[in-house]
Amino acid sequence: MAGYLLRRVIGTIPVILLITSLVFLLIHAAPGDPADLLLSDQATSQDIAEARHRWGLDQPFYVQYSRFIVNVLKGDFGTSFRYSDPVITVIGERLPATIELAIVSLLIAIALGLPLGVWAGAKPNSWADNLGSFFGFFGISMPNFWFGIMLILVVAGYLNWLPSSGRSTYGIARGSETGFYIVASLLAGNFLAAWDGVRHIILPAVALGTNMMGIIMRVTRSAVLEVMHEDFVRTARAKGVAESTVLWRHVLRNALVPVITVAGLELGTLLSGSIIVETVFAWPGSGSLLISAIESRDYPLITGTVIIYTLAFVAINFMIDILYGFVDPRIRFGK
Amino acid sequence: MSWKRSAIAFAAVVAALGANAQTATAGGRVTIGVTETIASYDPYADSVSLAYGIWCQVLGCLGVYDFSKSDYVGMLAESWEVDKADPTIWTFHLRHGLKRQNDGKELTADDVVFSFNRVNTDPASQQKQNVAPVKEMSAVDKYTVRVVTKEPTASLLEYLFDRFIITGKDLYEKYGANEADRKYLWGWGPYKLKELQIGQRIVLEKDSANPQVKPENPDTIIFTIMREPEQRVTALINKEIQVAEFIPPQLAQRVREAKNARLVESSSVEIMFLAMSPKYKPWDNVKLRQAVCYAINRDAIIKSILAGQADRLDGPIGPAQYSYDANYAKTNLYIPYDPAKAKELVKESGYTGEPVDLYTPVGRYIDDKEVTQAMIPMLNAVGINARLRTPEWATLWADVQKGKTAFYYMGRGSVVDPSPALSQYFETGGSPRIGLSDPSIDKALAAERVEFDPTSRKNELNVAFKAIEDAAPACFMWSHRMLHGISNTIEFQPDPTGRIFGTHIVVKQ
Amino acid sequence: MAVDVAVADAARPVRARRRFAIRPLLKPKIVLGGAIVLTLIVAGALAPWLAPFDPNAQNLDLALKPPQWLLGPHVLGTDAVGRDIFSRLFYGARVSLVIAVMVVLISGVIGVTLGAISGYFAGIVDFLIQKLVEVVWAFPPLLLAIAIMAFLGQGLRNLILALVMQRWISYCRVARGQALSLRTREFVDAARALGASNTRIIVRHIVPNLFQSAVVIGTFAMASAIISEAALSFLGLGVPPEIPTWGSMLADGRTYISTSWWLALFPGLCIFFTVLGINLLGDGLRDLLDPRLKRSGTGMG
Repeated sequence: MAGYLLRRVIGTIPVILLITSLVFLLIHAAPGDPADLLLSDQATSQDIAEARHRWGLDQPFYVQYSRFIVNVLKGDFGTSFRYSDPVITVIGERLPATIELAIVSLLIAIALGLPLGVWAGAKPNSWADNLGSFFGFFGISMPNFWFGIMLILVVAGYLNWLPSSGRSTYGIARGSETGFYIVASLLAGNFLAAWDGVRHIILPAVALGTNMMGIIMRVTRSAVLEVMHEDFVRTARAKGVAESTVLWRHVLRNALVPVITVAGLELGTLLSGSIIVETVFAWPGSGSLLISAIESRDYPLITGTVIIYTLAFVAINFMIDILYGFVDPRIRFGK
Repeated sequence: MSWKRSAIAFAAVVAALGANAQTATAGGRVTIGVTETIASYDPYADSVSLAYGIWCQVLGCLGVYDFSKSDYVGMLAESWEVDKADPTIWTFHLRHGLKRQNDGKELTADDVVFSFNRVNTDPASQQKQNVAPVKEMSAVDKYTVRVVTKEPTASLLEYLFDRFIITGKDLYEKYGANEADRKYLWGWGPYKLKELQIGQRIVLEKDSANPQVKPENPDTIIFTIMREPEQRVTALINKEIQVAEFIPPQLAQRVREAKNARLVESSSVEIMFLAMSPKYKPWDNVKLRQAVCYAINRDAIIKSILAGQADRLDGPIGPAQYSYDANYAKTNLYIPYDPAKAKELVKESGYTGEPVDLYTPVGRYIDDKEVTQAMIPMLNAVGINARLRTPEWATLWADVQKGKTAFYYMGRGSVVDPSPALSQYFETGGSPRIGLSDPSIDKALAAERVEFDPTSRKNELNVAFKAIEDAAPACFMWSHRMLHGISNTIEFQPDPTGRIFGTHIVVKQ
Repeated sequence: MAVDVAVADAARPVRARRRFAIRPLLKPKIVLGGAIVLTLIVAGALAPWLAPFDPNAQNLDLALKPPQWLLGPHVLGTDAVGRDIFSRLFYGARVSLVIAVMVVLISGVIGVTLGAISGYFAGIVDFLIQKLVEVVWAFPPLLLAIAIMAFLGQGLRNLILALVMQRWISYCRVARGQALSLRTREFVDAARALGASNTRIIVRHIVPNLFQSAVVIGTFAMASAIISEAALSFLGLGVPPEIPTWGSMLADGRTYISTSWWLALFPGLCIFFTVLGINLLGDGLRDLLDPRLKRSGTGMG
């Protein structure tokens, strides 16, 4: 087993390097000059040439590329053109916001999708099934950026229930916003700040999590449907176990396997969906950072963020594979 | 039963906590939703308008352009003069006894000279163009700075005021750039920097010791990034912010109808134009270029798409710019909407009907895509086979900077004294963006640059304007009116540059 | 020929021969989904005849008019330059349809081909192709599309390319699975012994078995292609402005959302219902064609 794990880990390294190289190639080949974009529109051509030199952009491509790869292998992702800070620092400040958003979205998706799926699967073709399936289809069909805009318009705009953007309200936050705001505030006993954070995260998390909620609902439903027909369920019922216990303890436990698998696989979609949702809600995460980095051709920041996203992607898939293999021994050694 | 009670209690607590704590000016705090951010602790590393505005009121500028007086007024400098014998020599006299925030050190000429050097040598500096005409600066005595320009430059204040930031020499030398910028951004301005979160918010605190501040100015100012106009308007109405910068025309009504806020208009310092590069066919023919200017119905676009929130430009500048001459513009520079004349010009030019692409950025200027959409049928109607192209900004700008775009819609911001902008776009050897070379324009611009008498300079500029219009490398469209949403709890008239100074804000008691 | 038939018969998984039946098709999911998709196809195909106005005809005097519903010519209102929203929705349907179909077809062909080759030949070919799959899959999806559009510029062709880039993987996986499981069967040896070329074996015996999975994957891929196109247009990376798409209408309408809500609402609803219809249809077809695929909620097998 350990050998298998090691092989897998080693196997992902070339993949990540390949992707990173591809991104490097793409952005350097793309039209647009970072110096032009980041300097003032009144900068002289000499200033621009100086900036290009400072950023190493006047070197031949293969020089830039080899320098880049060597640095990446050393763990040095370079310095952002725009922020003049190491890329790791810049991303590091924004990453917790994205992770927080992703986790809350996932929680919402599970909290809604799982029960709906279980009820729907337990009683196919009933009103529970129809209602749940409605949510399921709604979730997977709704474009998250449009949903986000509608939420801002209605909930924040007309109803004024929640703030329309951002992550926190100044004055309440007391400086802990760049980390894991909500958790940190809770741990510090600052409930006002924690609540402020929650109020800000609800809309973007709903917009982002709806898609996942739909998927979880549907997967749970079909998994539950299948499991409900298994022998052990009939046995449990015959033994006189209460129906709700049958459902929530026995059926769900067995149904969770495919649910976890699919949810894990879809986490990647969640990550990329967060890029757009962050833009819509001005959520200061790494997704909106990436968009602005692309717009300003901040090469080190782009490659750094892509590497991190890819690592996350690969890591999640890897863990799901392990989990899957753990659960189903047939998969563990085959493939 | 107890379940329900707890639920109600919980809901009550929730509601209480939800009552948005930003009822604004509590304790004199004003929050402003802005569209740009500061990207670095280094005050010389940004070139966006917001940065200048903030650093000017925290660290200090020699002076600013006062739109209410239509003239330059000193901030750290008290007075200045140009040497009569040698117009390349300017002398600036600093105010005496200006105490720095936190440690009370006085401003001296050495600090100004140091700042000049730093602008030019700081590796991250993006402000070199602001001191480009200056050959050298030296300290004559403790309060006097001698500035020598490379050539006689009548518009020197356009470069140096508002944008040349003064920092302390001693702090830099004692702590080094990194620490000085992160911990010791102490200046001679009326507001102290309390907090800077890169890309998110900037918090300023009033320096009550500074003679420029009044008790009714806000104690704390928070600039928070809110890129989406929808977001800013919603936040304004929700009382999360007290100033919403740059309201687009379509949201103007919503702000007007808000109960707790009002819409405040002012002119802006950005000019919008259509550029046509004579380096590319069919734009090498002056008649075709002139035809475009007659073909666009600017008033209709301003009325419908821009909801009346723009001022048509007759000539390259408008009332907000320095040396604008309304009479001259009306009589000599006005180009009416005349499709018949445009058609004639098109025919005379010998244009053979080949497709031309009009390039526009999207979302960079107010309603840019919409106004250029509206221009296409107008161009088609006079026989110009035009198509709209909306590339991503980075791509478009790269091409424009290299002079590879033949026909595009663009804006030029920060135009107070028009000289630098006109030179940049229309003088031979300026930037490659249009690539025009017209001797009469060159002559006129060279003349106005060295003319130090304001009235004579105005005349010289008018000559330049006429020459530019005749050569038609660009059709000047309009200048957007700048709209701000202002909470009814404060008094504030925004500056046409868009910069927000705490000393201009009055918190109503 | 006879060889092929015999071989094919042996290769077909043991399953009751199905007679073409209507009843199973009448499930609500299929009916509802099918109706929506049909409406989309009709709207798109007949746009020039159904749309009351030219989608690009501007009228600045009639800009930003609210929906007149049945009381006036501009049923769903006009946009910022006075173009009729209702007409633009028809043409937008056209574009969405074209994009969705093209993306699905192209990615299907590429994916099935690569997957079949990968599984059939196994060994180094399989390894290389699977590495390619891994790389493409691990690439954050939106990013790849953004990079391609930024690099290649606006255009329908580039958009389709960007959308195809990551969608061929699902087909590849399924095809590879099929090919792997079939390649060791005796009938393949038999066919080879009888002189059938590799290509022929792949085409005649492996591909047909993929049909059902491909249909299911295809419908979900269509839905996701439509959403992705909208997302890209939303970010300003879609087709040039003279081609009306729902996504770009959404992006345009965003700045007017609180004052002229109809600009963004209707294209958004169109996207939503179209995707919903496709998903319903796909789900229903999957229930019908291959209940084994029920396991996962996304149709990816």
